[in-house]
Amino acid sequence: MTDHDTQSALSFRAIRQSFPGLAGEPPLPVLNDISFEVPRGKFVSVIGPSGCGKSTLLQMAAGLLKQTAGQVFHNGILVSDVNRTIGFVPQQAQLLPWKTMIENVEFPLLLRGVKAAERRARAQQAVDKVDLTGFEGHYPYQLSGGMQKRASIARMLVYKPDTILMDEPFGALDAQTRMVMQHDLQTMLAAEGASVLFVTHDITEAVMLSDSVVVMSRRPARILAEVPIDLPRPRDMFEPHAIPGFAEAYDRVWSVFRSELKVRRAA
Amino acid sequence: MTDQLATRPAEHRSLRQLWAPLGRGLMLAAPGIIMLCGWQYASGRLIRESYVSKPTDIAKRLYELFATGEIWPSLAVTGKELVLSYVIGVTLGLLLGYALGRAPRAARIVEPYVMAFYGIPKIALAPLFVIWFGIGIWSKVMLAGTMVFFLVFYNVYAGVRSIDREVVNLAMVLGANERQLGRHIYLPAAAPFLLLGMRMAIPYAVIGVIVGEFTSSIAGLGLFINYASSTYDPASVFAGIFILLAFVMVMNALATRLERRLLRWRPSMQGVPPEAS
Ligand SMILES: Nc1ncnc2c1ncn2[C@@H]1O[C@H](COP(=O)(O)OP(=O)(O)OP(=O)(O)O)[C@@H](O)[C@H]1O
Ligand SMILES: [Mg+2]
Repeated sequence: MTDHDTQSALSFRAIRQSFPGLAGEPPLPVLNDISFEVPRGKFVSVIGPSGCGKSTLLQMAAGLLKQTAGQVFHNGILVSDVNRTIGFVPQQAQLLPWKTMIENVEFPLLLRGVKAAERRARAQQAVDKVDLTGFEGHYPYQLSGGMQKRASIARMLVYKPDTILMDEPFGALDAQTRMVMQHDLQTMLAAEGASVLFVTHDITEAVMLSDSVVVMSRRPARILAEVPIDLPRPRDMFEPHAIPGFAEAYDRVWSVFRSELKVRRAA
Repeated sequence: MTDQLATRPAEHRSLRQLWAPLGRGLMLAAPGIIMLCGWQYASGRLIRESYVSKPTDIAKRLYELFATGEIWPSLAVTGKELVLSYVIGVTLGLLLGYALGRAPRAARIVEPYVMAFYGIPKIALAPLFVIWFGIGIWSKVMLAGTMVFFLVFYNVYAGVRSIDREVVNLAMVLGANERQLGRHIYLPAAAPFLLLGMRMAIPYAVIGVIVGEFTSSIAGLGLFINYASSTYDPASVFAGIFILLAFVMVMNALATRLERRLLRWRPSMQGVPPEAS
């Protein structure tokens, strides 16, 4: 048992993934030797070009996809089957259409056999936290895309998992709501100390939320850099540019990202 | 339109709202009434009355049948056959469709056989069913039940199979075990298909039972209609047909209510504004 196993919430070891190509075509290599850690209680963001395999990494940590090679450990345990102890906010909100919003939020508690009254109370708290109060009885088709996404976040918050996977959770939100949600996420994490693996396209968001940013290349993806972000917490999500050191941190991530853009332009 | 309504005095509005459902009912009934009037006019003038009877005679005959109680024994037998065949067919169709939907490996082996049986015109089996299950109600229950079964089975099977793998995956990550997946994911996802199958099966249950009774029987509405037509009594034939029609309409209305209740979560179920429907 190595040091990694006891220190890390999530640990990706030499992950490779290729998907079978269409008939007659060679397999599509997506991930090429990816290794990184999400230390316990830390917030790690993954950024990279669209289609480079970020969602694929989260699928592996959730135990929904068997990687071609390599291993994923969650709290030191090899992920070999569906991971029922991790929190997952998928890229598409994926609420159950036949349940109302609050029933969706309650669902993980229902599955864990929590009594109805406590279930309702805890779900209500989570709903209030994501600012969906008043829409409890609405069915998913009656909610906007951003509201569905927030409900999906509430559904994850409600059972307080110690490790959380979030796939572009704030992508569908307007700038204001987004900042509020980022602020609330930071506050909540400070209180509960969960470990987070967070996928985003937005460098500002990655820098503001993270302890460390993993930058991936285009497909077949490698890790270009792991940039540590040691800005003091709590950070004021509404005024990123007022934070001393923000500009430097942003530039370090951006310069790695830009090198990838140059390659593309030359090609 | 809405704006106009809003600016009108309140009593006008409530009066309008009172009339609206009545108006809609009239719209719905109009084609039927026109047809009946046309029938009444044509009978004896354009077509021989002994071929098509006429609505007033049929109404009179219907009244007689119920007033004298002559129809009740037939109704009771046919009703029992219909209910039994429908309940048995739906239950078995749901159970087997669900089980096979959840077991794709077994389904691959069983499906071609089921498909082959599905392809057999069940009506052609009616005489055989009489040999197998006797002249009483069970030959009819089995014939109609088989037809109901296949419709419900195929719809439920397709429904369970059509479910989005991603939804199942997510439910598992959220903590669902196999039993919970069935209760909270597969069954609700298959519900629209089940209801579609149940609705499609209603006329088939009637066809199966009546054909069974035509083939050979000792009681029932089919026998009544068969007897009436062999004694050149068109009013009674149509009276029997109208009773069947009423039965199908009532069943359909029940199915619609069930659908409204169970499929509240689907946008299509309430997409039509009240004025337009
Ligand atoms: N089940 C699958 N079968 C075949 N190919 C797949 C499958 N899942 C993903 N891919 C391919 O793997 C690549 C990475 O997909 P992934 O969804 O992980 O990208 P991503 O980095 O999350 O992109 P985005 O930022 O646009 O969400 C894509 O090229 C996609 O076509
Ligand atoms: Mg993605």
